[in-house]
Amino acid sequence: MSAPGRAALRDDHVAAVALAGLDSLGARRLRVLVDHFGTPSRALRAVEQRRARAVLATTFGPNHRHLLDPLCARWAAEVDVGTTGALLEARGAHVWLDGEPEFPIGEPVPELPVCLLAEGDRPAALHAPRVAIVGTRSATPHGLADARELAGTLVDAGVTVVSGLALGIDGAAHAGAVAAGGCTVGVVATGLDVEYPRRHRTLYRDVRAHGLVLGETGYGIGPVPWRFPVRNRIIAALADIVVVVEATLTGGARITAEHAVRYDRAVFAVPGSRRNAASAGTNALIADGAYPLTEWSDVLVALGMTPGSRRAAPARVAPEGDGRRVLDALGGEPASPEQLASRTGLGPEVVALTVAVLERTGWVTWSQGLVWPQ
Amino acid sequence: MLASVVSATLLGVEGHLVTVEVHVSPGLPSYTVVGLPDTAVRESRERVRAAVLSSGLVFPQHRITVNLAPGAVRKHGAGLDLAVALGILVATDALPADVLEGTAVLGELGLDGTVRGVPGMLALVDSLARRGVERVIVPASDAAEAALVHGVHVRAAEHLGALRDCCKGEAPWPDWDPLPAPRPDEDDDVDLGEVRGLPWARRALEAAAAGGHHLLFSGPPGAGKTMLARRLATILPAPDPAEALEVTRIHSAAGHAPVGGLARRRPFRAPHHTASVPALVGGGSGRPTPGEVTLAHRGALFLDELGEFHPGALDALRQPLEERAVRIARQAVSVTFPADFQLVACTNPCPCGLGPPWCGCSELQRARYRRRLSAPLLDRFDLRVAVRPPEPGAPTGESSAVVRERVAAAFARQADRYRHRAWCRNAHVPAGALSEMVPLHGDAAEAWLTECDVRRLTGRGAARVRRVARTLADLDDVAEVAAAHVALASMLREDVP
Repeated sequence: MSAPGRAALRDDHVAAVALAGLDSLGARRLRVLVDHFGTPSRALRAVEQRRARAVLATTFGPNHRHLLDPLCARWAAEVDVGTTGALLEARGAHVWLDGEPEFPIGEPVPELPVCLLAEGDRPAALHAPRVAIVGTRSATPHGLADARELAGTLVDAGVTVVSGLALGIDGAAHAGAVAAGGCTVGVVATGLDVEYPRRHRTLYRDVRAHGLVLGETGYGIGPVPWRFPVRNRIIAALADIVVVVEATLTGGARITAEHAVRYDRAVFAVPGSRRNAASAGTNALIADGAYPLTEWSDVLVALGMTPGSRRAAPARVAPEGDGRRVLDALGGEPASPEQLASRTGLGPEVVALTVAVLERTGWVTWSQGLVWPQ
Repeated sequence: MLASVVSATLLGVEGHLVTVEVHVSPGLPSYTVVGLPDTAVRESRERVRAAVLSSGLVFPQHRITVNLAPGAVRKHGAGLDLAVALGILVATDALPADVLEGTAVLGELGLDGTVRGVPGMLALVDSLARRGVERVIVPASDAAEAALVHGVHVRAAEHLGALRDCCKGEAPWPDWDPLPAPRPDEDDDVDLGEVRGLPWARRALEAAAAGGHHLLFSGPPGAGKTMLARRLATILPAPDPAEALEVTRIHSAAGHAPVGGLARRRPFRAPHHTASVPALVGGGSGRPTPGEVTLAHRGALFLDELGEFHPGALDALRQPLEERAVRIARQAVSVTFPADFQLVACTNPCPCGLGPPWCGCSELQRARYRRRLSAPLLDRFDLRVAVRPPEPGAPTGESSAVVRERVAAAFARQADRYRHRAWCRNAHVPAGALSEMVPLHGDAAEAWLTECDVRRLTGRGAARVRRVARTLADLDDVAEVAAAHVALASMLREDVP
């Protein structure tokens, strides 16, 4: 099977993917090897003949130096061009090497990946403007709804949504793009034959159908903790603009934002309540100079596009009476039904009925034991 | 030379009538017990022999065969000693045969002829009464317990020798001591009125008490889950006389002698989370003994820190939760323990206890923690409520007495509605009878359909919402379920932990 518009694979492509599929041979070591030996094919031969030891020695810290010899021996035994080539052909994967005209990251950035490989039905997704939507895995219903809405708005304008296929915000961004029928690119830290997290198996299928699953890691590599922050730089490099919807102070979304700043990409952050732990990271980003994003169309303006007429919001009747009181008591923030009861002075049954009516008309959602205004 | 005396043995929490047949015939002196005796029953030979001799009576130097009928039921414990001894006395003409006509005999013998108590006396006498026995001779220490059973004439025995005289009418029957006075219960000094705030959780607790619904509290440590759950016992109305006898009988059979008469409050059992499967549902090697679910019969079983219980023990609860009985099958016997209890449990939403969205646990940690509670078990809770620490200065709520009155009124409404049915609580209405017993009209029907749709309720979930809505309406003392009841019922069944 050959994917449409796919360039034929050369030896260098296969060699790069075979090297990237070695355990513990990450982006930095691959870069060192290829820079030293000139081409991926030569680097591959050096690894096979165990000539790469001296070159790689600099990439091992004093605490890991004892691993160098066993790793070189293992790599020499494991590297397998034949199988990799057959896999690439069978799966119809695209492979681009750094420096080729088709390489998805147009301008040179620091820590540029040696090669990128991608699988999916819409390679054209990479030819549109690209916006990354990233955020925390433990998102609130507000954050998930924001990510979905933003992704929908962007793909309606022809923008490709880039994200990391993780749980939480990432997943909501992909799902929003897919639901609106747009293009989306999922950048993964595992081999393209691995689907992680497993809960996103269906989402992987949808993203393949609506765009690409893309990565710099060869086949067979499972989830390894250190590969995820390294992957984040590809999300930042691929995107023209990075939007952080919800992030904790220490999470991976902030790493993506930092890469974006280094690569000179605009960073937008959705502000949130100081009570929301999942907004602490985005609020900190805004304090550091990220643009606060309150209108989705601001992203399109920043891309130099003219925001089309806003999609008419579904007409909804402003609630009156108890509904109004409950909405006012929420004040735009989530609250427990007990808090609502004590703030409005209404009884439990009345609060429950009012919330049920508000939920039916789309004013609130009821999730995680809290009432969330929409 | 044949005598037959009626007695009883415990099987599970039920007494079984046993006929003790004693045959004394000429021949080489020997003493054989047949009819599935356990070790304690077989050892009765030595006790009976010593007791008879110590009482100044003659132990026959003949061939003695004791048969315990029915032969298929395994007999336990030393409670048959006295029946065997009296059988031997009758068989050797030391006692006239007619004095034991229509009389059952229970009691263990000491070597000096003293008659000792037998555990489960209430269950034993109750089963004898139901088999038409009119008189029982029981150890003096157990006589007050036996007298709790209506329609049975109780006679106390203190000593084998004295008993023979009483039987022959040569001495008056001894009096017995009344039951010990009830100790002040530790639950007596707790009251719902002490709990601050938590109106939602209180509401759920009240509904659980009224309708017999299983209840799960989820929340951070210190929110007041345990404090609230422990007060369930204080708002449950007293058991009716038949239930009280049932409860007392089970506890007596489990070795807890009644104090102060029949149980006046429903049992509230709170086993520690290290409880094993047999400790929880009953069983054990050899003689099956009732577990906590049976001891909580007609009351509540409280499992604090549900996630810390052994997963096997929790899954073993599923069958009793559904069938309200436990069947324990062993190679020799199969017993059924009643287990009509309501489950009240507390759990933390995640390892750190804070719960989303403030929790600092990783997705993996949370998923692993959630997996400890299986979905089928969580599904069996009609009420699942997230408990959050009350806001500072929250007022205290109603006292237990006020709530208990409402709960009792709801009990009465249910008893009236289900008077011709096999069940008597809203939580027990079978799914097939729901549309007939809990009809929904107008707004309520619409609200129910919306909830099913918005919350994507399963058939079972929708039925549970309907039952709880009925209970909420009962607590409001209204005949028709309103839309607000349905909405609240659905809200009190959160997706926790």
